[in-house]
Amino acid sequence: MEFGWSDEEKAYRARVRDILDRSLPEDWDHIAVHGPGSGLQTAFSRDFCKLLAEEGLLIPHWPASFGGADGKSWDHFILGEEIWAAGEPRGPQYMNVNWIGPVLMRYATAEQQAKYLPPIIAGDVIWCQGFSEPSSGSDLASLRTKAERTEGGYIVNGAKVWTSYAGLADQCFLLTRTSAGKSGIAILLVDMKSPGISVKQIPALIGEGDIHELFFTDVLVPEENRLGAEGQAWEIISYALQNERIGIPRYEFARRILDRAIAKLKAEGRFDDPVVQDRAGRVLAKCEAARMMVYRVVDERAHNAPASAFGNLARFTVVQADHAVSDFMLEYMPEGMLGADPMQQAHHQRAIAAGIASGAAEIQLNLAARRHLELPSETYRGL
Amino acid sequence: MDFEPNDDQTAILDGLDQMLAGLRIQTPKEGETVVFAAALDAELAASGFLDIGREAGFSILESALIAERLARLPVTAETSSSAIVGQMFRAGEMERPLALLQGSPLAPARFLPQARSLLVDIGNDLLHIIVDPARVEPVESLFAYPYGRLAGLDGLETRSLGKEMLAPFRRRWRLAIAAESAGLMRSALDTVLEHVKTRQQFGRPLGAFQAVQHRLAMASGTMNATYWLAMRAAWSDSESDCAVAATYVQDAIPIFTYDLHQFCGAMGLTLEFPLHYWTYRLKALLGELGGSSAQARMASASTWSEAA
Repeated sequence: MEFGWSDEEKAYRARVRDILDRSLPEDWDHIAVHGPGSGLQTAFSRDFCKLLAEEGLLIPHWPASFGGADGKSWDHFILGEEIWAAGEPRGPQYMNVNWIGPVLMRYATAEQQAKYLPPIIAGDVIWCQGFSEPSSGSDLASLRTKAERTEGGYIVNGAKVWTSYAGLADQCFLLTRTSAGKSGIAILLVDMKSPGISVKQIPALIGEGDIHELFFTDVLVPEENRLGAEGQAWEIISYALQNERIGIPRYEFARRILDRAIAKLKAEGRFDDPVVQDRAGRVLAKCEAARMMVYRVVDERAHNAPASAFGNLARFTVVQADHAVSDFMLEYMPEGMLGADPMQQAHHQRAIAAGIASGAAEIQLNLAARRHLELPSETYRGL
Repeated sequence: MDFEPNDDQTAILDGLDQMLAGLRIQTPKEGETVVFAAALDAELAASGFLDIGREAGFSILESALIAERLARLPVTAETSSSAIVGQMFRAGEMERPLALLQGSPLAPARFLPQARSLLVDIGNDLLHIIVDPARVEPVESLFAYPYGRLAGLDGLETRSLGKEMLAPFRRRWRLAIAAESAGLMRSALDTVLEHVKTRQQFGRPLGAFQAVQHRLAMASGTMNATYWLAMRAAWSDSESDCAVAATYVQDAIPIFTYDLHQFCGAMGLTLEFPLHYWTYRLKALLGELGGSSAQARMASASTWSEAA
């Protein structure tokens, strides 16, 4: 047991920081404030991800057989910490490298991998995830978007909602229903230019271009675009969500926003107040608690241990930390939300979605209770 | 970065478990608020487990692992003060058991009825008082530690350890609070999990209700975060990490102990049910060294230096 970074890991972090310093424009804070799904940030991501690809830093954690570098789990997190804390210049493409690519590597056919992986590896494709529906949010398995068999494929009809990044997406990782129950879900990889798809942006508190409604009207999807078998979707989704829940190092962005706030408070002579120091110390403790919980999950991966429900606990701790920092900022630095600090607002907008995205925080607690604490199911009715 | 114990750490914990198994420690059946395990205390002193932080090749991290493991027991002995704070001093310099105080030397202190040494942070100096057991008055309390206070200081050998010892003393005390709390939380939570899996109401176990599940999952998150913050603090032995760990746990103890007692109903308020052994030790640690506000301000000061 030890908790330090090796010299190699420190050098790796320094290299990522150097690339960020060199490649982010002077007005980056004003670009980042609109969120990863904005037109500006999405456009920037296409240049930035190409640069990362050239530097070998877009998919270093992927296996070498898929173009990665067989990178270590810890390096992947160091990379994620630095880039997310900088405001995520990969834009929506962080999803590609964190979970869409890994899911395709595990479950896609060789033909699908040949089609979908190269644009991800080149840093030049935007994916969206068509999961939630108007009547299926946390209860994802109740989804109703219908995929009916037709000659050579499926005809898709239905609607998705809260779909991140859909407005500029090239591809959609779409969950559809082919029959009743969890076994009746199929995953289709859908070209967003297909006839019959319409996208409507939902104005929201969490940034421009972040969430959308997606409508599918008689959309033809070729059978070769189905990922896995019909009936295998839930297994694939569970694998995808494991990677998504702690894939974003939110604690690091929160911690850096807190550090920036303290620097400003000190410069203004406001940090002499012991009440402010008390509050800041408690928020700091929550950030570091979240960091250690996430690191515990990364350590599982580093030891090639099977994924455990510890990730659900870690995710909840991360949500608490993100909100604690956001609330501290609102109380002591409200001016940051009034135009003085775009990055503070960017953090706030990420934080308020933390307990909703990737499965509501309460769903994380449900899963932790059942899988980690082995508590009885809610439907238990006695012996 | 490696969260798994190494071979030496595993061997130490296995050895400790073997020693504890040999002592056949039972959960007390008589309703008592405090059960001081004299045999355990003596065995720990003789075995060298509490001095491992001074051994070549080991550090205070191994001491914290031991303190956490011992805190899981329903009975108590003076462990974390010796294992973590006591390692600041040369071997033999400070006879254990240790009692720790901040402020008045005459205030009630944990383990003072058994202590041979009392360390007192009086603000501008760290005092070492050689304890004469005949001068200690026991203090009754709900806290599941033995407490006592000195009847007076006259005639007791007292020496100044110097102002420069205050910072390391407080740092190690914070670490001891965090490491011990992690073990206390684990056993308290295990006890309540067993209860809610077996106790049935409305035709199903209490643990099948979502209102209970969510709060226990949150308690598990708190317990785990406390453990890892404490172990990181023990590894680095830094002012910031120790203060952060103590802040986190002292901030969390009120809601953690409230929820665990809540799910055990009136049974959790009895001395027959063992939950109080861990929760009332946690409540005792809640206020040590100035409580969560003092630790939080120290976390701020040490993390963002030249503050405070």
